[in-house]
Amino acid sequence: MKLRRFISTAVIVVMAAALQTTMFARIRPFDAAPALVLLVVIAFARHLPAEAALLLGFGAGLIQDLLSESALGLWALVFTTAAYFVLRFRDRIEDDFSLIGPFVFGVTVGSLALFSVLGTIFGEKTLADVGLIKKILLPSLYNMVLAAMILPFATWVLGAARRRSSPFEL
Amino acid sequence: MWRPSNIDRPTGVFIGLLVLSLALVTMDLRASGSGLGSTMRDGAQSVFTPLEHVVASATRPVADFFESLSDLFSLSSDNQRLRQQVAELERQLQETASLQVRVSELEALLGVDPPEGLDSISAQVLAVGVSEFDQVRVIDKGALDGVGLDMPVIDEGGLIGRVVAVTDSVARVRLITDPTIHIAVRIERTGETGVLTGRGSGPMVLELFNTDAAVVVGDLLVTADGRFPAGIAVARVREAARSEVGFSLRTTADPVAGLTRIDYVKVLVFTRDEATIGGLEDPSRLPATVPPGGTPSEGDGDQAPSTTTTTTLAGSAP
Repeated sequence: MKLRRFISTAVIVVMAAALQTTMFARIRPFDAAPALVLLVVIAFARHLPAEAALLLGFGAGLIQDLLSESALGLWALVFTTAAYFVLRFRDRIEDDFSLIGPFVFGVTVGSLALFSVLGTIFGEKTLADVGLIKKILLPSLYNMVLAAMILPFATWVLGAARRRSSPFEL
Repeated sequence: MWRPSNIDRPTGVFIGLLVLSLALVTMDLRASGSGLGSTMRDGAQSVFTPLEHVVASATRPVADFFESLSDLFSLSSDNQRLRQQVAELERQLQETASLQVRVSELEALLGVDPPEGLDSISAQVLAVGVSEFDQVRVIDKGALDGVGLDMPVIDEGGLIGRVVAVTDSVARVRLITDPTIHIAVRIERTGETGVLTGRGSGPMVLELFNTDAAVVVGDLLVTADGRFPAGIAVARVREAARSEVGFSLRTTADPVAGLTRIDYVKVLVFTRDEATIGGLEDPSRLPATVPPGGTPSEGDGDQAPSTTTTTTLAGSAP
């Protein structure tokens, strides 16, 4: 069961990266695309056990690092942080379902902003980008909209009806 | 009092992964584009390329649908703009034809050989960067097709970028709008030189060292950089220049290549070494990084010859 979940999660992360680099290269309303891999991390971190969710964030970030020009480990750091943030707040969010959209928006904005700051610290000159605000806000907005599809999909894939008493129950 | 045992297990794992990430970043930055990170990237790109081909084919109808939907709104204005462009190009064509005759006459008079066209390799953009911050494109031609590191890439408008990584079947192109890219350029009208710098998106920054230089809106900027063949169109001046405390003249310029909607591109078979020692009489002393004339090396099938063409750059300097 665990192996099946692991494989399906890994396949979905890789597929998200492939869709990000191909289909969303052409579908770019207002010249921006959703941060699909990050959205998948958020969606699956809601249901996975804490350690698995963190490893998912790290692994997905590493895949994104390998496909990008940024320093290896930068996206891994950002996605791991995003997964940890989701873990900390996931049960509070479940209590009020209307908060999920804004929560996804907030986590995406925070992650992309973190990447911008870290990218600049590590010489990527990300903060020098004149379109920085747009590159942070539009993908976050698209993620919030797509969350309506991706989050139920993740729940279905994991067959998840979580039964935890604390956010960090493994 | 704080003790390590106060940290719950997930937080411990989180801190461990952060440290591991930072170690990876440090290692990759120290290797500065080579080493394990580079090898892993090339390997991942090679593994990922077939999947990208499949996903791109499978999602083409969806992408086509959304693209045609967005094109619908701009169709009328595009039509009008293209008509104006055709009229302008026809006028330029007539002027160019008469100029070519005149140049040939002058060359014959001076005994100068005309500049040779550069070989180029046609390629299609396979994928874009995985995040909005990546100013890269992945093209479907690699080392087996004759593509090499640092080769310039152009579209019908002008310079797009240069090749920064090559595997056997694909290559990665860094766009000129990347903030880490600086290109030496020349104003075609006046010959003044300056440096063009990317800003991630939107217009690029042009700095001219001659503060008295006359820069007007619409001035064409062409390459004057050893890394690129001279005379490739790069950008057009967007606004009048202003002097920055007397040290340089600063303004902005829009790239002439269609960077947001690149589909097909041409890789120019040109390396920095050729630019440096291009004047040597003995061509056998050229480095063997690129097969002469862009012809493929052994074992590269039948594709490369069909995609390798000779490109004469409009406005390239002799």
